[in-house]
Amino acid sequence: MTKQKNPFRSFFASVYLTITLLVFTVVLSIVGTFIPQQEAAREFTQGIPTGLASFLQTMQAFDVFHSVWFFLLMLLLFLNLIVCSLNRWPLTWKQFRGEPWPGEEGLFRGLSPERIFLCNEDVGTVTGRVEGLLSRKYGKIGRNKGDEDALIICGERGRYSRFAVYAVHLSLLLLIAGALAGAFWGWEGYVNIGEGETADAIDLKGGKGIQKLPFTIRCDKFLVAFYENGAPKTFRSDLTLLKDGKTLFQGPLLVNHPISLEGVRVYQASYGSSPDGRAALAFSRGGGEEKMVKVGPGESFSLPEKAGTLRIARLEENLMKMGPAVKIIVHSGEGEVSFWVFQHIDKIREMNPGVTEQVPMFNPALFKPYIFVLKGIEERHYTGLQISRDPGTPLVAAAAVLMMAGLIGTFFSSHRRIWIKIQRAGERTKISVAARTNKHRAVLDREVRRLTEQIKISLETGST
Amino acid sequence: MTNTMILSWVTFLYFGAFVFYLFRLVFRKEFWGKAAYYTILGGLGAHTLGLLLRWKESYAVGFGHAPLSNFYESLIFFAWALVLLYVIVEWRIKNRSLGVFVLPAAFLLMAFASLAPGISDRIQPLVPALQSNWLTSHVVTCFMGYAAFTVAFAIGIMYFLRNIPIFGFIPEGDILDELLYQHAVLGFVFLTLGIMTGSVWAHYAWGSYWSWDPKETWSLITWLIYAVMLHARYVRGWKGKRMALLAIIGFAAVLFTYLGVNYLPGLHSYLQS
Repeated sequence: MTKQKNPFRSFFASVYLTITLLVFTVVLSIVGTFIPQQEAAREFTQGIPTGLASFLQTMQAFDVFHSVWFFLLMLLLFLNLIVCSLNRWPLTWKQFRGEPWPGEEGLFRGLSPERIFLCNEDVGTVTGRVEGLLSRKYGKIGRNKGDEDALIICGERGRYSRFAVYAVHLSLLLLIAGALAGAFWGWEGYVNIGEGETADAIDLKGGKGIQKLPFTIRCDKFLVAFYENGAPKTFRSDLTLLKDGKTLFQGPLLVNHPISLEGVRVYQASYGSSPDGRAALAFSRGGGEEKMVKVGPGESFSLPEKAGTLRIARLEENLMKMGPAVKIIVHSGEGEVSFWVFQHIDKIREMNPGVTEQVPMFNPALFKPYIFVLKGIEERHYTGLQISRDPGTPLVAAAAVLMMAGLIGTFFSSHRRIWIKIQRAGERTKISVAARTNKHRAVLDREVRRLTEQIKISLETGST
Repeated sequence: MTNTMILSWVTFLYFGAFVFYLFRLVFRKEFWGKAAYYTILGGLGAHTLGLLLRWKESYAVGFGHAPLSNFYESLIFFAWALVLLYVIVEWRIKNRSLGVFVLPAAFLLMAFASLAPGISDRIQPLVPALQSNWLTSHVVTCFMGYAAFTVAFAIGIMYFLRNIPIFGFIPEGDILDELLYQHAVLGFVFLTLGIMTGSVWAHYAWGSYWSWDPKETWSLITWLIYAVMLHARYVRGWKGKRMALLAIIGFAAVLFTYLGVNYLPGLHSYLQS
């Protein structure tokens, strides 16, 4: 810790502040999941007293994650993180450089007895063996002169892990920067495009206006497929993206496979069918030659031989659970006749014998001598696209990679140093093993235990 | 379906292992500890087989996806990850006393999956939003994290019980403290990965890497709680009871993220079937 008395700095350098801020973030996030947010809030406010609703509105409780409170918390965390890191940096740098050197005295004083042992080999042999064993695990090793002609061999691992925690914190700063970039320069909105239609602008989310797109989107076709159990299987839009009359993209858009073009991403979000589908209507004179027409609701056409004019009054995709049907009105010299033509009339007759006689409205042959058959209703779908631009995404992705690397360095690696002192003790050689680490003491202890065992075995048996 | 039959038998094996662990404590014979361990190994083997068979059967019915797509499958996988982690811990620390606390969780998860009404054990096809390669990595990392947090929670409970005479078999505080910390770290790293893979997936499926959907928000809350816990330990040297308490609070957040959130409206509605 620094000894400076800068109140700003000491306030923001506190880990208690970090913990307090994180706890506040947790509380605010919980609020944000229990109080309906944004669009969902509108319905919610109608069910609670007006006073409460306006209070919550003033407190920005209906958009917690974009509120002043949340922004403030993030800002404080941002500063907290930077000041904490700056404060700790000089110490980390020193430790990275291998300082402070604990001194031979400090290092080898108070070693536990199993870390000091004697052997009969001479110093040279011992040094060779020890160096061999230590370098197996520690790679490059150093050699120093100690006091009283002692030789100190040292090994070091995981020096760079000292920086890992900074990587994690830097990644959080990147993350916040990315999120801010997205909030300032990004946008998100929706547009519905009917089959065959085009759009070049979208409605921004939250009613924030209209955003012009850098290209025009034409929906050529929309397809929806279902599994046998009724769950949706595929939503697919065949799109053409145009700019200045040139085709930039043509192909299918699927859920999970957005189209990315000119910094804008297009997602398959929803779909629906427009009420203006067309009926494929076949008719014949008394079972003679069949003719086909395609008519939309409200449209009319003349029947051959001036028998009358036919108009489609209504078009139902599923009338009274009996499937697709159209209501047609035939205007002729004898007045008006109106009746329903079902697509599955054969099946309906089978299930309800005599229905067309009892309910003349359901008789497709009511306007004699014509017989009408509904071949199908061509649904006209529209596709619901979500379109967004988020220039912060690359920053966020970089933050994720950095964070993962940092976390692995922080939790699964440590800066471990081992010093082995070799000196003559009368006719024999004395070996002392000292070690230091910045974390995971148990791991280092295990390593030292294994190393001393290996050294003992190698010196007693005389082989490496 | 063979897989559901195997998986419901696995439930009994885990229960059996739990009973053997209890016998070990009552009769103080290591025989029961070994019996419990081998029963768990058998259970885990069958569990793995059940999951693989279910995967294979999903191809046979024409859907073809990893068994990680609905509530039933998530419970089964959660239990699998938990037992796998437990087996590794017991083998690593050579101490069987954790079993009495971890096994009930695995058993309950399996029993809940098999018996709770309204949980369909049928293999269902994937709706378009789930048809992604990120499904597997997202679900696996999240539930590995949940499993590690569950072990940390069990250790936290043990920490508070260890001074009661009948729980004299619980290892000493320092060992528990270290183990608890290790599992909190493991869970934290997996949860981070889970949130990241989920984010990448959301980026492709929902149009934004983060939407403040309740499940996302609660995963962040959980992440923050464990972040506080790790900072408190690293920087302020918190140990023992405080860490145990945080492990319990953290686990409550995990449970809410996994189950409670389903009662809030949001995008993660796949679990409601």
